[in-house]
Amino acid sequence: MKQIQRLMPLLLGTLLAFLPASLSAMEKQADTIDELLEMFDESSCMECHEEIHDAWSKSWHAQAVVSSLGGMHNFIVIGLAKEWETPLTKAQIMKCLDCHAPVVKYASEDLAVKIGEMIVTAFKEKGKPAGDSAKKELARLNVGCLSCHNIKATEVARGFNGPAEKGMIYGPKGEDAEDAHETLEAVDITRSSFCMQCHGIYKSADGETIQCNTLSGSYQDTYVAMGGSKTCQDCHMKKGHLFPGGHDLDTVKEGLGFEVQINSYQHLPGQIKNVKDPKRWVPSAVVNVFIENKAGHRVPDG
Amino acid sequence: MVLDVTARNLAEKDPEKQVMFSVQEKYFEIGRDLQNRMRYGAWQIKEIVDLTLQPMQTRREQYLINFDTDVEEVEIEASLSYFISGKKGDVVYSIKEKLTYDLD
Repeated sequence: MKQIQRLMPLLLGTLLAFLPASLSAMEKQADTIDELLEMFDESSCMECHEEIHDAWSKSWHAQAVVSSLGGMHNFIVIGLAKEWETPLTKAQIMKCLDCHAPVVKYASEDLAVKIGEMIVTAFKEKGKPAGDSAKKELARLNVGCLSCHNIKATEVARGFNGPAEKGMIYGPKGEDAEDAHETLEAVDITRSSFCMQCHGIYKSADGETIQCNTLSGSYQDTYVAMGGSKTCQDCHMKKGHLFPGGHDLDTVKEGLGFEVQINSYQHLPGQIKNVKDPKRWVPSAVVNVFIENKAGHRVPDG
Repeated sequence: MVLDVTARNLAEKDPEKQVMFSVQEKYFEIGRDLQNRMRYGAWQIKEIVDLTLQPMQTRREQYLINFDTDVEEVEIEASLSYFISGKKGDVVYSIKEKLTYDLD
């Protein structure tokens, strides 16, 4: 026992000496957007998955950063700077980008801050060379193939699954892709809880809640509680990786029923004030409008 | 999400005088901070006041409308519009029905 006690500091020292190196090897951090996108290279995905890529490229996932510049700008300029009096750091900007561009998780502190500054420039300098250039660069960041099929793939049950393996593609079937890549079946990706990582109230690492939308709460607490059994994917992947939602009129229409029933009648004379002739029957109508929410969540969502 | 119900007097030629009844219902969420102030920033909103349409439920709106005693023909229009943002709205459904009254 005494021998172990004597050896303990030596063991701990050895562990600590190797720990930073092993951590940095595991969590390599990019210093530029080029480097970041090289680490998660998606350029070859479309070679085999052309149709899926085409659909995705028209989706809001493909422009998850540039379509939300206003909100993210406000978070940085009003939220962080004015209200919280807190500097822009990677931890802070990840409150947006963990969902809008999950790959930024692997950016260095400096790069993440630079991306945050680019968001401010792109919004503030819209239509000017500096703004357009920042927006063009930011357009390379999005919710891409590897955001779902790797980075976020194991996160719902991180304790059970462990972190995503580098280079592994997680898919619903785990079908062999021959030499292109290794594939692992991940049932997680087919479940609502997978989408709910981002499409609901987001809880950041420091505990802050960021309420971009409230879909997941409404889905779980009302739709499922009332007996609903469809998943997010059942409705929002009907057009594949286009992920139609509120921006798509067909999808909105599918989620809503609308019926109008009108009963016309003539009201008893003398009962309605301010009519031209109180002795006459009063043309009247009862209009009943029925709006059915057939979606799996509240409509509209915040 | 906005429901508009309008009743127009078809005998009236002046479009401004045509509308005899008009009502608008809005279905939306009010985001609020912990001081109960209405907020728009995702980082500011901690709770909501829920005025939306709930899943698995049908919302019924009912209007009793009385017209003037000389109105013979009315057009009732009900339309439902979806606003993806405050600025951009699309009409999802629109239904019109003509009512005729026998004044004799």
